[in-house]
Amino acid sequence: MKRQVATFIAVALLAGACGSADAEEMPFVDLSLRAPAPAAGTGEITPLRVAVAAILSPEGNIESYGALADYLGMRLGRPVEIVQRRTYQEINDLLESGDVDIGFVCTSAYVRGHDDFGLELLAVPQIDRETVYYSDLIVAADSSAVGMADLRGGTFAFTDPISTTGRIYPTSLVEQLGESPATFFSRTVFTYSHDRAIAAVAEGVVDAAAVDSLVLDFAFRRNPELNVKVIDRSPAFKIPPAVVAPGVAPRTAVELQELLLAIATDPAAASVLTSLGIDGFVAVEDQEYDAVRDLIARVDPTP
Amino acid sequence: MKGDSNLRDGLLSNRAKQFLGGVSVRTKILGIVLALTLVLGLGVTWQVRTTTSRVLVDELDARGTAVVSDLAARSVDPILLNDTFALHQLLAQTMANHQDVAYAFVVAADGSVLAHTFGSGGFPVELIDIDHTSAKVVYESAQGRIHDFAEPVFEGRAGTARVGMSETRLRSLVGGITAQMLLTTLAVAVFGIGAAISLTWLLTRPILDLVATTRLVGAGDLSARARHWAQDEIGVLARAFNHMVADLEDSQATIADKEAARTRLLDQLITAQEEERKRIARELHDGVGQALNSLALGISSLAQAKSPEVAAEQAAQLRGVTYETLHAVRQLGRELRPSVLDDLGLAEALEHYAAEFSNIYPEFRVDTHLDLEVRLPTTVETALYRMIQEGMTNAARHSGGRTVSVLVSQRNGWTQAIIEDDGDGFDTDAVQRSGESVGIYGMRERAELVGGRVRFESSSSGTTVFVEVPT
Repeated sequence: MKRQVATFIAVALLAGACGSADAEEMPFVDLSLRAPAPAAGTGEITPLRVAVAAILSPEGNIESYGALADYLGMRLGRPVEIVQRRTYQEINDLLESGDVDIGFVCTSAYVRGHDDFGLELLAVPQIDRETVYYSDLIVAADSSAVGMADLRGGTFAFTDPISTTGRIYPTSLVEQLGESPATFFSRTVFTYSHDRAIAAVAEGVVDAAAVDSLVLDFAFRRNPELNVKVIDRSPAFKIPPAVVAPGVAPRTAVELQELLLAIATDPAAASVLTSLGIDGFVAVEDQEYDAVRDLIARVDPTP
Repeated sequence: MKGDSNLRDGLLSNRAKQFLGGVSVRTKILGIVLALTLVLGLGVTWQVRTTTSRVLVDELDARGTAVVSDLAARSVDPILLNDTFALHQLLAQTMANHQDVAYAFVVAADGSVLAHTFGSGGFPVELIDIDHTSAKVVYESAQGRIHDFAEPVFEGRAGTARVGMSETRLRSLVGGITAQMLLTTLAVAVFGIGAAISLTWLLTRPILDLVATTRLVGAGDLSARARHWAQDEIGVLARAFNHMVADLEDSQATIADKEAARTRLLDQLITAQEEERKRIARELHDGVGQALNSLALGISSLAQAKSPEVAAEQAAQLRGVTYETLHAVRQLGRELRPSVLDDLGLAEALEHYAAEFSNIYPEFRVDTHLDLEVRLPTTVETALYRMIQEGMTNAARHSGGRTVSVLVSQRNGWTQAIIEDDGDGFDTDAVQRSGESVGIYGMRERAELVGGRVRFESSSSGTTVFVEVPT
């Protein structure tokens, strides 16, 4: 009896000591075995670095431009890397320093880059046979505002400090009313992308915002029930272009331009055009951006 | 096989019985209390430990999944915007804001580590090789068991967020709870031992006391008594035992008293017999002997008578002497046994005795009221006769009174005799206790022999003896 009790106690203690020991084999990882963290491999082939301005949010850009990057990589026979930064200015800095080769930038960013450090045009996307876009002033669907004048004292979301549609054009509207954004609105914020500005209005974070009409159209296509409405549309601006950094070899620049201009006729690029939502790319001249240039000169004479 | 196992079971149960029978009650109770406490305490501890471990590990997994999902969601922008510092801050905040996070790091799609929380000492490269086919991998390390969670960032296009959750705090928590419960079990066990010892003391003390008393009684000490501890079953047993020993003691005392009285009675009977013989011898020598002597002398004188007239006169004298002698012999015979009791019955015999009693004690007045319708068996009549005779003699000799009355009646199957005097009375209890009075003891003996009883009542105004015998 006593021996049985002792056995039982021993078993109970043992079971307790083992606790929840699992029967399965547990791998052992030696965390003390340290080495420098694996860094991005510096491949023998230099990748083509494509900067995409934050017109869309970073995820949105990857979804839109990922297929294009893959296509270019396939056609060029070298890896293509998409580079993003928070602001348009940072992208311009990368283009200027030659850390990226080509870029998809905002119109005003191109105008500044062209005038400051010789940014060159490659092509512009054509959408529904058009190569223009607008700045759409949006408010929540249930708002009573019908124009910029009705937004006095409200909150306003800019996209980027050097965005044509997201800041420069709406600022010009406020200035036409004889005010500045700082006095006209109770508060302004920067969202650093157009889709986030749309979301900010739709979710009531701000009263209004001005956004790229192309991004807004795409957002409405994805979600027709989107809780925003357009109360003002700017005159047409030339669509944001693809640009090449001044440091890129002219041969490469030409090769890239030809690739972009021929993309509409290449069956292998069908999915690229679908994900970008464009018909193809067409050639463009610098003077077509003079309207933007004038606007900048009026609103932001010294950036 | 089955038979074998049955046999084995039987042997086992026999051995268990032998073992259990061999240990003291104290050991049994102590064993039961200890076994129960330990089984309960260890069982509950084990149960709580297991359950707590499982719950805490499940909760750790839930938190790990939440933390890594959050980290993955918030890593998208810093990764895509190449904002390494923001990524570092994000990881540092993740470490700071969530308990049990052992480390966090982000691996880019190409396998490079974008940011990690291991500091400047380098990165544990083995972590990269962990096969993350499932979202969670558990592994052992020198820092304890770690749950490693992986979550793709932006569907894997931006990389993977990894978070390691350490079980160390949970283990120490569970260890603490277990230690606390084991300590409680130990405390309860110690308390249980104390309680069991008190309980066994309470239980066995009266039993051992009873056993000791039983041995004393067995050795002949009838004055020994078991101590009465409580009103429980053992208390009842002790009381019953004490009662039994007291009865035994009483009965032994009674037997001893009777034995002593019987011895005295025997002595006195022998003495009385010797005195009776002496008296008869004296009577024979003084009375019958003298008479026969004078008869012999008279006959000699008759043989030498001078004349027929003288002879006739002498013969007449001799006849007178002969009659007197005959009367004396008869008287002697009657005193030895009253033949009148056999011939005429108790009532007549008592009347005769009363008359004789008046002759012997002329200063005493005797009243008799004898109402005897049924004759009793000879033994009963003799016993009753002797008892009444004793009572009357006692009254005449010791009471100091002037009157004795005897009342005999028959009622309800009993014959009752009441002998009453008007004397000074005596302490009946003291006399009976002392056993000095052979007469009183003799009366009691006679009554008990025929299934009757005797009772004495005495006061300063006289003594009454009640005798009852079955008719």
